[in-house]
Amino acid sequence: MPGLNGEPEEAHRMGIDEAFDALQKSVDEDIKKTRLARGRRDLFKEALLKEPDVLETFGSGSLSRSTQLKPIHDVDIVVVYDPDEHPEWGSSGPSAEEALEHIRSQVNRLLSQSKGTHATVVRHTLLRNHAVKCFLDDPDDPEAFTVDVMAALRQPDNSLLIPEQLSARWVPANPEYLINMVAEHQRDWSYFRPLVRLLKQWRLDVQVEGRIKSLVMEVLALQCLPASGNRCQGLKTFFTAAATRVNEGVWDPAGLCGEIQPDLDREGLSAAFAEAADLADQACTAAAEGDTDEALRLWQEIFGEDFPAPAAAPKSTALIGAPALISPRPIKDAPQG
Amino acid sequence: MLILIPQDAATVLRASGAWGRLSLRISQPDDLAVVGGISEGGGSIISVDPPPPAPRLLASCDSRPTGYWYRAKNELHALWHLLRVRRDTAMKLDVFKDAVPNGFKTPGDGGYVALTHAPGVKDAYPESRLPDLVAWHVTRAGFQPLEMSAEPETTGIRQLDHHWPVQELQNAHIMLVGAGSIGSATAHALAGYGIGHLTLVDPDRLQWHNLVRHTSSRRHIGRTKVTALAEELTQLRPDTAVTPLALDVIEHADQIRALLMDTHLVVCTADGVAARRVTGHLARRADRTAILACVLQYGALGEIIRLHPWRRHGCLTCRRHSLTEAGSLDPEPALDAGYGTGTRHRPMTAVGPDLHLVAHLAAKTAAATLLEHAGHPDQRLPGEHALIGLRRQPGWAAPFDLGRTAELRWLPATPPRPGCPTCEAP
Ligand SMILES: [Zn+2]
Repeated sequence: MPGLNGEPEEAHRMGIDEAFDALQKSVDEDIKKTRLARGRRDLFKEALLKEPDVLETFGSGSLSRSTQLKPIHDVDIVVVYDPDEHPEWGSSGPSAEEALEHIRSQVNRLLSQSKGTHATVVRHTLLRNHAVKCFLDDPDDPEAFTVDVMAALRQPDNSLLIPEQLSARWVPANPEYLINMVAEHQRDWSYFRPLVRLLKQWRLDVQVEGRIKSLVMEVLALQCLPASGNRCQGLKTFFTAAATRVNEGVWDPAGLCGEIQPDLDREGLSAAFAEAADLADQACTAAAEGDTDEALRLWQEIFGEDFPAPAAAPKSTALIGAPALISPRPIKDAPQG
Repeated sequence: MLILIPQDAATVLRASGAWGRLSLRISQPDDLAVVGGISEGGGSIISVDPPPPAPRLLASCDSRPTGYWYRAKNELHALWHLLRVRRDTAMKLDVFKDAVPNGFKTPGDGGYVALTHAPGVKDAYPESRLPDLVAWHVTRAGFQPLEMSAEPETTGIRQLDHHWPVQELQNAHIMLVGAGSIGSATAHALAGYGIGHLTLVDPDRLQWHNLVRHTSSRRHIGRTKVTALAEELTQLRPDTAVTPLALDVIEHADQIRALLMDTHLVVCTADGVAARRVTGHLARRADRTAILACVLQYGALGEIIRLHPWRRHGCLTCRRHSLTEAGSLDPEPALDAGYGTGTRHRPMTAVGPDLHLVAHLAAKTAAATLLEHAGHPDQRLPGEHALIGLRRQPGWAAPFDLGRTAELRWLPATPPRPGCPTCEAP
């Protein structure tokens, strides 16, 4: 009966949309901080691109995919080197560590606080397994902003080889694949990136053994979020599909790096997804029935206090037992044969 | 009389001008006619039958130029609706004539069948659902509406587009191992759900004794069951592409293994412990979910098992072991035989519709598994292992102790056993 209650339903949907907007605002980093992070990233890209042995530089990581969660303390950039300038790179042995040391000296020469020729921003550098971590703030500050710079060699199939210090090897990677997949999904459905950020935030409160890597959520979102519809339907679809998909393991979508988090608590996360799917399903039904308050309360149960919802309705003392979440609907006696 | 207007005929009528002649194939005993040819004005009648090999409707009846069609005013179609409600009410011929601006033919003694096309009727009566093509019997005394049925532009599973996730299932590819009594009904049900691609695997031929339970008819006796099924499904459910493979899942495991790469889900309705175990093993190695359907206790109990290739979900053998250890299942002698061996199946003792009931539950389980995976919360199943009472007998051990016929019980998965050659990666 769409004609009967079309208008109030429209008004209710506005209420749910506004609540999602408010949640989104609480999750998204404010634009000034995002711009600052992008500016710092671009400074590194420019400086390194001027080096004679560098072919290209690009951002990877969630900032480059616009799926970052706040607060942004780190950005990732990839520096693609000319193999002719470093013929020994790319094969197993000490060259993996050498490549990282090479970046460190380049960064210090170009950007160090005391003697940088391009800018004076880097206070300290650290060698990590795959990257050089460059501190722009006091390294002891837990909120210190860092730029992770990674060396890479481009392969004939357009993927990359990156050094791995601990194993003294160069390993395949394809960060651009994920960047492109995310951009493609976003082109199809403008809610995609904002919802990925919501889901990354959601994961932080999930009861699982250990933690859940943010990349796990991002890849599941790519597989399970639809490419059309509103946010409520999209999330309902996501939670339902992800509850089964996570049992299959979450793997590098480019097919190069294997399982993203082998120690992931698949069962725990699956159970959390299934519970959220139930609540989302009930919330969608409540909204369709015109009970916006109930829908908002159910979404709040999924996303927590940052999702605005009215206080729970006072329980009627005349009723015995707890009221059902949604009052059961009678079945129409209209048999079909 | 009911007048049938196939889609090609409707398309020609809608695209034509003011009037023309019709040829009809009429079956008097059926009180039925089908439009077979149409002319534009006084020109020659052109056939609107589908091109061969598609079968024509009422093919055994001769096509005769026995009617006319006219472009009509919208009001005439509203009148068609009113007169049908009143039943057996004729109207004066002048009314019809006035509603047909061009080409009207005065009827002879026997009268004729007329079709009218009112192109503007949907705009003129937007909520009425009046058809733009209707049929009449026109005589000297007057005219009366005739029943008519025009083939819709959308046929097949896409008619359900807004009520059922057609596209997801049209993209799905299911392998069905076993095309016997349960398998044949499962194939029909999977096609009914709108599965786009179905690969049928079974080496057996259809024999006389199969007819009592199989969905295929007597005319397929002696052919392989998969060929017969593929042919029938292609006729009945053209939205499902069927690949028949007369292969044995044990003997031709390598071929099956390769085919699993293009398969989303495996349904096994084969009888015999070995074939079921091999199917489950191959599916798990290929990271595919398998759904196994069978009857136990001589057809007294139906069973569906869903085997996900997941860490905490054991394979068929592991699940059987847990039931055997609990004392609820009496293992087949073949259960301890080596991989790929086992006894031949027992003769089937259940009645067809009981087997088809299990088959339809297996197909539902398969469709629901695909749809849950695609994010449809309304298709989540209550468990991984279903038992359904077909001919309940007292005294069965739990969980087989169903109280009544048609009782349905869902059980959870059981974990893999340590050292299981299927569950533990090689
Ligand atoms: Zn096992």
